[in-house]
Amino acid sequence: MKLSAKLIYFITGSKLAVVLLFILSMPFLVARIASEYTNYSLRDQQAKVIRDVHRNGIDYYLQGDDSFGSYTMLKEEYISLQPATPKLQLDTIKTARRKVEQDTLNYRVLSHTFKIKDKNYLLEIGKTVGSINQYNKPLQRIALYVLMGLIALTIVIDLIFTRILIRPLGKIIQSKLINRKFPFKDESVPVKTSTQDFKYLDESLISLMDQINIDFEKEREFTANASHELMTPISILQNKMENLLADDQITEDVAMRIVGMMKTLDRLKKISSSLLFISRIENDQFVKLASVKPADLLEDIKEEISHRLEDKGLTLTIDVTDKVTLKNVNHDLLFQLFYNLINNAIKYNVEQGSVVITDAFNKQGDYMVIIKDTGIGIAPEDIDFIFDRFRKANLTENVGYGLGLSIVKSIAVYHNIDIKVASVVKQGSTFTITFPKGMLV
Amino acid sequence: MKVLIVEDEKTLAYEMETFLKKAFYLCDLAHTVAQGLEKIEINSYDFILLDLGLPDGDGLTLLPKAKKYNPEAAYIILTARGNLEDRITGLDLGADDYLAKPFSLLELQSRMQAIARRKFNVKEEALPLGEFSIDLQKRFINFKEQQIELSRKEFDVLSYLFLHKNRVLTRMQLSEHIWGTFADDDYDSNYIDAHIKNIRKKLNVWAPTEWLETVRGVGYRIKK
Repeated sequence: MKLSAKLIYFITGSKLAVVLLFILSMPFLVARIASEYTNYSLRDQQAKVIRDVHRNGIDYYLQGDDSFGSYTMLKEEYISLQPATPKLQLDTIKTARRKVEQDTLNYRVLSHTFKIKDKNYLLEIGKTVGSINQYNKPLQRIALYVLMGLIALTIVIDLIFTRILIRPLGKIIQSKLINRKFPFKDESVPVKTSTQDFKYLDESLISLMDQINIDFEKEREFTANASHELMTPISILQNKMENLLADDQITEDVAMRIVGMMKTLDRLKKISSSLLFISRIENDQFVKLASVKPADLLEDIKEEISHRLEDKGLTLTIDVTDKVTLKNVNHDLLFQLFYNLINNAIKYNVEQGSVVITDAFNKQGDYMVIIKDTGIGIAPEDIDFIFDRFRKANLTENVGYGLGLSIVKSIAVYHNIDIKVASVVKQGSTFTITFPKGMLV
Repeated sequence: MKVLIVEDEKTLAYEMETFLKKAFYLCDLAHTVAQGLEKIEINSYDFILLDLGLPDGDGLTLLPKAKKYNPEAAYIILTARGNLEDRITGLDLGADDYLAKPFSLLELQSRMQAIARRKFNVKEEALPLGEFSIDLQKRFINFKEQQIELSRKEFDVLSYLFLHKNRVLTRMQLSEHIWGTFADDDYDSNYIDAHIKNIRKKLNVWAPTEWLETVRGVGYRIKK
């Protein structure tokens, strides 16, 4: 799940939880508020009555009677003032049943005793419980609507804000991780962000890639220099041996030994020049401006390589359209790529085997050349390493020095060509070379 | 033919000299740009073999000056650098050929021979080879008036052997000449043997080919 989605889910979830809690507790809250308010208004009325009594005398209410009582029309509120026994001392608010006229109702009752001219009086002010709670429902509803509206509004704002906040992370992933192909040749552009953490992440990635580049560069330079330095001594040895072989004084036996030495030296020469060749490809020393028809290229290779087929009585079939032309490639490198693959298909084949080269287009419109052989195959545990330098499948067979496929890979990477291998041991291997649509003319 | 070898690796220069002397070339040696220029100012050469990485400068800087004094000479660049730009610059500056180190001395001589034919207009008549006659320039081999059909590679093998006659050429040297960088590394392969077999078969129809010898464990030789 994406970080932005997680954040939104979390924010929304936590808000909903709060709302739920609020909704559940609202009846209690509202009831509480209503009751507090009732208490307050009862006290207020009590204060008014006491003030009136002090100002105007008790008769202001009693009017000469023993007691005073009054209630509203629907008996929602009542007030009573009556003499009380001198010892009675009350100052409470509680819910109690009272009988007013014929009706017995539940009231919130304030009872308060006070003394006027040494006489004790009891004041009661009551309010029906029903009237206290009459506003609870509408109050709850309005509160709910306002709350829902606010929540929706904040979620929208959160959504927009998290997107803006997270955007640099997406950019870092896009520009530093997904769209980068090793080796990182183009300069890394820092992603603009004011978030410290993203800045740190971005800078770390840039410095990491720079470090990789520096190391890779060093390794490449070393390979190039080392192979180059080897060329001069190899050159001297080769020429010395050639001259020695032409010497009239050497015996047949010595001549044979010199040939053996020359073979060994040639191996050394081939390894060095292959390494040098790979590092030249990796150093962009080849121009990619040619247009090449794979069909023609494969025919040329067939002519060049056909003498190798005879040994094991192999057949090489090429069934490739001549309507496809690849642009912006290096002819010699592509030749080498196909040559090495076909050469391997021949080298690792069995008696009377075959090499079949076909082509196809995939769904994306990319062009594929498929080289299928009936050779010894590649074990599944080796298949991931066949393009690595000096790794060799079938170690018992002492052929090849493991650089042919490394060269193929360098050329493929250089041209942005994809190569896939499928293989079954003792049945053969299939190499699928895919040229992206953009390379086709 | 007079050759100047400008090469700072003395052993290498010496080996080239030894080889070319055997092929009847007269050789002078120079180990620096300065020595090279000095020799070129005084003498006149047919071939100048030029190494690029010299202690006192790049061989390529020597090329234009040398051409002033010795415009007739053929220039062959020898280098271990082997990158494309050097090759193009070299050829642009008027070099006639370019050999990447390590190279075979046989290959060097064969290139020199080709340049001699092209540049100095050395007309080689068809030369006798046993009862046959071979023309390296026009690339054919005849028995009397009858031209014998050889494949391109078969003729390459035969002419390389003929060019280096009386010298044993190994299968490896022959494959490298014919297939260049595509020569394979399975040394016990018999592609060259197959070619030789075919050449013998085609020629034996007309006359014996005892001059084409198999040297056991080493290779082949044309003996004259």
